[in-house]
Amino acid sequence: MAELLDEPALGAPVTDAGAPAADARLPGLLLVAVAVIATCGLIYELIAGTLASYLLGDSVTQFSTIIGAYLFAMGIGSWLSKFLDGPLLKWFIRLEILVGIVGGCMAPLLFLLFEYVTSFRLLLYALVGLTGVLVGLEIPLLMRILEHRFPFKDLVARVFTFDYVGALLASLIFPLVLVPHLGLIRTSLLFGALNLVVASVVLARFAETRPYRRRFAGGIGAALAGLGALFYFANDLLAHTETLAFQDQVIYSKSTPYQRIVLTRNPRELRLFLNGNLQFSSLDEYRYHEALVHPLMQALPSARRVLVLGGGDGLAVRELLKYKQLTSIRLVDLDPGMTQLFRHSPLLLALNKGALNDPKVQVISADAYQWVRADTARYDAVIVDFPDPSNYSIGKLYSAAFYTALTKRLAPGGRLVVQSTSPYLARQSFWCVAHTLQAAGLHVVPYHLYVPSFGEWGYVLAGPDAQWRGDAGPLPAGLRYVTAGTIHDMLRFPPDMAEVPTEVNQLNNQALVRYFEEDWGPYVH
Amino acid sequence: MPLSKPWRKLLFPALMDVSRRSFLVRGGATLAGAALVGPLLPGCAPAAASLAHIQGQLLGPNAAAGHLLRDPGKIPAPTRTVDTDVLIVGGGVAGLSARRWLHRHGLTDTLLVELDGQAGGNASAGHNPTSAYPWGAHYLPVPDVRNRELLDFLQETGSLTGYAPSGLPIYSDYHLCAAPDERLSISGHWQDGLVPAVGLSAEEQAQTARFFQLIERLKTAVGRDGRDAFRIPLDASSADETYRRLDRISFADYLSQEGYSAAPLRWYLDYACRDDYGAPAAQVSAWAGLHYFACRKGRAHNATGGDVLTWPEGNHFLAGHLRRQAPTPLQTNTLAYDLRETAAGVEVLTYDTAARQSTRVRARRVLLATPAHVARRLLAAVPGHALPPAAAFHHAPWLVANLTVSGLPQGPGRPLSWDNVRYGSASLGYINANQQDISQDTGGPRVVTLYWPLTDEAPDLARRHAYQTSYAQWLPRVVAELETYHPGVTPYLQRADLWVWGHGMVAPTPGLLWGPGRAAAQQPVRGRIFFAHTDFSGISIFEEAFYQGIRAAREMLGAA
Ligand SMILES: Cc1cc2nc3c(=O)[nH]c(=O)nc-3n(C[C@H](O)[C@H](O)[C@H](O)COP(=O)(O)OP(=O)(O)OC[C@H]3O[C@@H](n4cnc5c(N)ncnc54)[C@H](O)[C@@H]3O)c2cc1C
Repeated sequence: MAELLDEPALGAPVTDAGAPAADARLPGLLLVAVAVIATCGLIYELIAGTLASYLLGDSVTQFSTIIGAYLFAMGIGSWLSKFLDGPLLKWFIRLEILVGIVGGCMAPLLFLLFEYVTSFRLLLYALVGLTGVLVGLEIPLLMRILEHRFPFKDLVARVFTFDYVGALLASLIFPLVLVPHLGLIRTSLLFGALNLVVASVVLARFAETRPYRRRFAGGIGAALAGLGALFYFANDLLAHTETLAFQDQVIYSKSTPYQRIVLTRNPRELRLFLNGNLQFSSLDEYRYHEALVHPLMQALPSARRVLVLGGGDGLAVRELLKYKQLTSIRLVDLDPGMTQLFRHSPLLLALNKGALNDPKVQVISADAYQWVRADTARYDAVIVDFPDPSNYSIGKLYSAAFYTALTKRLAPGGRLVVQSTSPYLARQSFWCVAHTLQAAGLHVVPYHLYVPSFGEWGYVLAGPDAQWRGDAGPLPAGLRYVTAGTIHDMLRFPPDMAEVPTEVNQLNNQALVRYFEEDWGPYVH
Repeated sequence: MPLSKPWRKLLFPALMDVSRRSFLVRGGATLAGAALVGPLLPGCAPAAASLAHIQGQLLGPNAAAGHLLRDPGKIPAPTRTVDTDVLIVGGGVAGLSARRWLHRHGLTDTLLVELDGQAGGNASAGHNPTSAYPWGAHYLPVPDVRNRELLDFLQETGSLTGYAPSGLPIYSDYHLCAAPDERLSISGHWQDGLVPAVGLSAEEQAQTARFFQLIERLKTAVGRDGRDAFRIPLDASSADETYRRLDRISFADYLSQEGYSAAPLRWYLDYACRDDYGAPAAQVSAWAGLHYFACRKGRAHNATGGDVLTWPEGNHFLAGHLRRQAPTPLQTNTLAYDLRETAAGVEVLTYDTAARQSTRVRARRVLLATPAHVARRLLAAVPGHALPPAAAFHHAPWLVANLTVSGLPQGPGRPLSWDNVRYGSASLGYINANQQDISQDTGGPRVVTLYWPLTDEAPDLARRHAYQTSYAQWLPRVVAELETYHPGVTPYLQRADLWVWGHGMVAPTPGLLWGPGRAAAQQPVRGRIFFAHTDFSGISIFEEAFYQGIRAAREMLGAA
């Protein structure tokens, strides 16, 4: 304590009588420090709780156990404070640097490690515990630094007032300002930096820090630079966590209001993931898209107008553009983020041959169901390329009601084709799509092929009559999979994929989603 | 774009999940604030503060104007006179149904007066930028194919689109309730359907199965008079004592006598009674309790008897069609407050609550399509009717809350459904007003409608307390109730609009349905005063209101 006595900013020692005159010369600086560190301390707790409920789910349990663990760790910290002796101010500065680093890195660390650590909870609680212990040390230490400066009742009153004011501040700005504007990672880093600022201000203002000032300033500077760099690269950091999850290098990632789009690359291929689900691999997507488009189109040599639903990657459109007689191709996709990406990224333009920028192509960002019900045009061919019916929302796009609405958009003699998941892995689902198209009054032609990155994959071609033929018209030159011969082969279903009876998928039963859960369940769980 | 290899999801469950990701930005934070200020700042009350972001108001049927009925001295004297053949008082489903039927059958000189700002009564609705939503009745079970008048009406609304070669009706895919329809939160898990099925003992399962076997038998049971034991409209049901005597005991007593003691089953049946009648099983008759299940004989080409028709605005869809199907004059914001017989018929005084003017309506006949206690008050000076005193009817007050939420933190189990109920909950749970949306769910805001019959106190007391409760007092209760369904939902709540029904719906208390009183009460008085309201059915459902209107209209047409 003696070293503090020659610091004027701290005011004169209290007389034995405990004169209240000391009030006037309160060491405001350290009290402000109390408020700042209290804010930081609560912010770390909020970050840990929010992150835990975000990553682990079950917010109530996560929050309350995190709070418990954190408060308990603070208790341990407070108890440990009695073992700190010697130059207390030096301890305090050390402590602030440590809190700044540990607390500041908490969110980035947890995010980064979530996917790799087997026992993520252990890590989480270890980090929460460590932060809690360090934060728990702060206030007792500060009170001891101030202990002989003021009457005890004043000391307690002032310190705790500032402590609680800081807590209130934190609890208000965290939800209202920080998370909406900075996000968790940057908030964490920012408050780490604040702890470091407290350390540096104390370091600069108190004379007795002189002996170690330079050394500590260097440490603080390095830590600040580290946090600053992390702050700057926070977004890339998030992308990096995905890179590792995706095995391959992530070359693009973006969250749209509808989905998370991630593009990865390795020396052999480009892969697109939507919400973590593989949509295509550049190695074999031609199989999928040729099979989607050509069996339908070769049978409609006089087709002029085509509607594509889904398929914002433009790969089906690329195949369509091989039919020179087409005059208009309309593509309706929910997510403008997808179509933008596939219209502008050079890598992807190489893949879809700039299909979406072709003057014949009109790209519409809309909800397909609503759009189809409102549309009045008619099409010679409709290509339905939606994600698999894995939930009730998408299931509506496979319903008899939707197919009925779609049928009204077919020009006389027009046909449609629906990507219909795997007839091998999801046999009931596949046949349910076929039966649902039948229930909408259509004649169906189910077919399938092998796409290495997906497995056995299926489609259902449908039209108002049974006139479709697999060798009806000429196929465009240069196809790598589809020929009159492969079309013929695709129509054959071996016994393990043969037709099974199913219900019709209606909006009021969503039978398909149930089948899909049953079919894929064994592979997911 | 197939979603291939779903097992990939396991590799990165949380980070890839859009809804969770947006949670990070939106809800989680405020949640953190609410949950944490408390523990760290002891003595501060976070709950009260954390509701400040919720907007909304307290609404209700025009209770103030309704109460003028008790105090007609406050109403200005009539300044004009109107003549009509038939005056219909009350624009609920029964009144609208009568008006439509009369118009169809050539009786076009009618005037309907409705106290509220919109016709519909208990089938009222509201809307905000997020969705339309019901304030009361919200669904109609797929009807019995013998209910011709109802099927014809549904065809006119477009809900019934035609008939299959089998003769069975086909309903619009957009009006049949979209799947998934029901889920129950029990032991922290959302199960499919409302009948408790999770964690039941063998005995409880057996009793549940036995009860539903009984219902299957009762659905096809026929009395000695050749009529169905249970039918809609209930007046078409058998008079056979075997069944009718069930009206004299309470449903709860009946269940105990028959050995249905399993707590989960009893909870469910109690829930069903509160849902349909606003009263627990102990307060409704066994006949009514069984009728709830055994009358569901609907058949359709593309739906089952268990399916229901629903619309974002609830049964206001049907009420709107009923209203539009007749062009005869309809005056809203108009209270009928006095009725006298004259040499030529009746004279009714009406008060326009918007213009603050009264009118003398001279009619040859009047149809009282109001609750029975209102009809009785209007007939205070008219002898010869058999309306029972208000105390004979059990009408629980209801609170209905339309809650606009930007998200609903999900527990494990089945996803958001149309009807979402928690085992043991004080309210009846909520329905998803956006269930019939065909667009993709992109995590945007939605409206859920919470139903809460106030059955903890006797109806009169509960009603008085409900009228005295302010918005600021209701809100924490409603939020706390929703929190029991979705812990952490508070920060997601954007709006909470509340509606209090003083007299929600009639409960079929023992003796009401098949005692002598009900039949007598609906008898027309001297060919001049007629009655139509679900109170006269003793069971308040759309089908009965619709039927009541037609029955009364037929009586009028017959008497003309
Ligand atoms: C919360 C709630 C939920 C419900 N849910 C369903 C459901 O999902 N499905 C279902 O089938 N049924 C439901 N019901 C039952 C519903 O009551 C009936 O379906 C039906 O709407 C009743 O119609 P009604 O014409 O008999 O009565 P009301 O709707 O009560 O109509 C009476 C009308 O008379 C008017 N009126 C009263 N006094 C006067 C006066 N003096 N002058 C002028 N006008 C007057 C009233 O304003 C009202 O509009 C629900 C009821 C409630 C309260």
